[in-house]
Amino acid sequence: MGSGIWSTDVYDAADRYRRRTGKSAFSYSDSGARKVHSALDPRDALRESRDSAEHPQSTPIAVLFDVTGSMGHVPRVLQSKLPQLLGLLLRQGYAKDPQVMFGAIGDATCDRVPLQVGQFESDNRMDDDLGRIVLEGGGGGQMMESYELALYFMARHTATDSWDKRGRRGYLFIIGDELAYPGVKAAEVARLIGDDLREDMPVRQMVDEVTARWDTYYLLPAGSHYAGNRKVLDFWRGLLGQNAVELDDLDAVCETIALTVGLGEQAIDLDAGLRDLDRAGSTATRTVSKALARLGSERRAVATLPFSPADGASGVTRL
Amino acid sequence: MNHVMVVDLGYGDAGKGTVVDLLCATRQVHTVIRFNGGAQAAHNVVLRDGRHHTFAQFGSGTFRPGVRTHLARHVVVDPLALAAEADHLTSVGVPDALDRLTVDGEALLATPYHRAANRAREIARGADRHGSCGLGVGEAVAYGLAHPDEAPRVVDCRRPAVLRRRLAALRDRLTAELGPLDAPPVEDCLPAYAAFARRVAIVDRTWLASALREGTCVFEGAQGVLLDEWHGFHPYTTWSTTTFANAETLLAEAGLAGTAQRLGVLRTTTTRHGPGPLVTEDAALPFTDRHNGTNPWQGRFRFGHFDAVAHRYALEVAGGVDGLALTHLDLAGPELRICRRYEGLDRLVPGPAGDLDRQATLTQRLLRARPVLEEAPGDWPAAVSEALGAPVVLTSRGPTAEEKEGPLVNAFCMGRAPA
Repeated sequence: MGSGIWSTDVYDAADRYRRRTGKSAFSYSDSGARKVHSALDPRDALRESRDSAEHPQSTPIAVLFDVTGSMGHVPRVLQSKLPQLLGLLLRQGYAKDPQVMFGAIGDATCDRVPLQVGQFESDNRMDDDLGRIVLEGGGGGQMMESYELALYFMARHTATDSWDKRGRRGYLFIIGDELAYPGVKAAEVARLIGDDLREDMPVRQMVDEVTARWDTYYLLPAGSHYAGNRKVLDFWRGLLGQNAVELDDLDAVCETIALTVGLGEQAIDLDAGLRDLDRAGSTATRTVSKALARLGSERRAVATLPFSPADGASGVTRL
Repeated sequence: MNHVMVVDLGYGDAGKGTVVDLLCATRQVHTVIRFNGGAQAAHNVVLRDGRHHTFAQFGSGTFRPGVRTHLARHVVVDPLALAAEADHLTSVGVPDALDRLTVDGEALLATPYHRAANRAREIARGADRHGSCGLGVGEAVAYGLAHPDEAPRVVDCRRPAVLRRRLAALRDRLTAELGPLDAPPVEDCLPAYAAFARRVAIVDRTWLASALREGTCVFEGAQGVLLDEWHGFHPYTTWSTTTFANAETLLAEAGLAGTAQRLGVLRTTTTRHGPGPLVTEDAALPFTDRHNGTNPWQGRFRFGHFDAVAHRYALEVAGGVDGLALTHLDLAGPELRICRRYEGLDRLVPGPAGDLDRQATLTQRLLRARPVLEEAPGDWPAAVSEALGAPVVLTSRGPTAEEKEGPLVNAFCMGRAPA
């Protein structure tokens, strides 16, 4: 028998409950929800990152992560880390007026919630979207998830002033540990997003389309089921080149994303970024350094202006 | 659905918490269901990375992501202690424990008035203390039995006017009996209970029935069968049914009677915290317990040799088990012996539930009984299995899930390694 080590102080208890009225990041999922929250439903949705008087130079950053069973506890760790992302970007000044969007990727062949996409937000409202994400926990076991659907959504269902007004691509981070399916299936697009695609599209074509407007990175974290699996890394290297990055410490995910954006915005070079991290007391320096060593020398691609959306990818100069 | 019920076949402290944690680490568990006791439970779980939590009201599977806790109506709920426990869980990296909690609205509340009355009574017993934890759990049960329609219950936290009336009646009755109590005014208590009701999901009986159909559940017992209110050694017992009975009732209500595996937990050294019979007690045993020290309510933590006589009695009154979990094998050195019979007494015969005079007579007999100690077995699991007539399906040599082995680990792994 125990001895009652938890305080039963009545005044203290009221305070404790008041302090803890916030729901957990995955409260929607943990409360038993098994279908997409209306705020994250991709069907007929358009996600926009727009300039405002307060944020005249918006920089869109989308972070979508795999929430299927193969990722194990990774989604929950991401949930606990990602709310720091905006603060990190703002504090370090790596991006002008960052607007962050969170989303989640499942498996359209066997999951109930294959795609969830939040809205771009300039403040902590994005944390609410994190809290509405349903964690699948299932997964097909065939080492594939529906990343291609997420790419499709990002290519066809987002609009950004960064691109429309300034010809600058946004940042798209996909965090996962499996392959994409070989093609975007028209039937799945019709069912989940509502578009009539007529015919299936090869994933390579989808990647070309999305990278035209989004600087796209694939992060393969440690601790996930297939981490370190060459087949997965090779697959994404084949599609995204050095933008497919291994991440050996999940705790460093925000720093990695922030530095990648900082490098892309040419706000810093890698050494300066790592010094910033050190100075801020981050323990993630080595992980980030290793993950980004190959990206450090890359120059960000900038579209040539004037840009006309009808040009598709043709207006983009990749350096 | 592979539901499992975990019960301690001793006086508590055998390692239910670590067994429940192991089950939740090695299989997809939907909910851990607490079905007896209250905030006085203290189930210690230690993770490989050194994090530690003493689970009192939250299920011992809470470290494992997504595993819920349900407090069934047989639990005495203490929202004040619950808040402190949730805070500690946050500090060890589990910020969402309250989000994963459901509480049956019919459950009784343990209040500061129960607690103060509990302490006043125990102090008045002087040297004849029962070993109460001083948290008012027994007091709440007693009041609930005496005044079933007026006892404060969890659902009342949603209805401040009702709760105010019930708390005032409770306070008045107890002070009339015991004199002034060291407890805050009713008005000061209400905000804490209201905050609890806003924060925690209060549900009715149907919630559990559907959870039992949705996924695998683990019933986590509190205390031990030898402390059972009806079958324990009166008066050194707890106000709680510590056998499988409540869990079986809950299963039967869901139409699932008899479907859960019954697991009995034992430790190689039979221990007891608080006064009362411990026939094999041996002050010369060189043990200490990391998580159980001396406290003002129960005194020191007592160690004895493995008491197969008492454990066989527990097994019988609990109605048998499908398997045993044997913990603390790391303590099984040559000095730790086994007791298969007492001098002049081979077996403790279970009586009908609730015959407290008979139980008190048994207690008197046990307080005089002398153990016959046999040499330390070379193979503890085999010896325990033979002495109790049940298979040992899990053994443990340390506090973490990684230090367990046996068919139970393998059978329930379902492809998931302990995280």
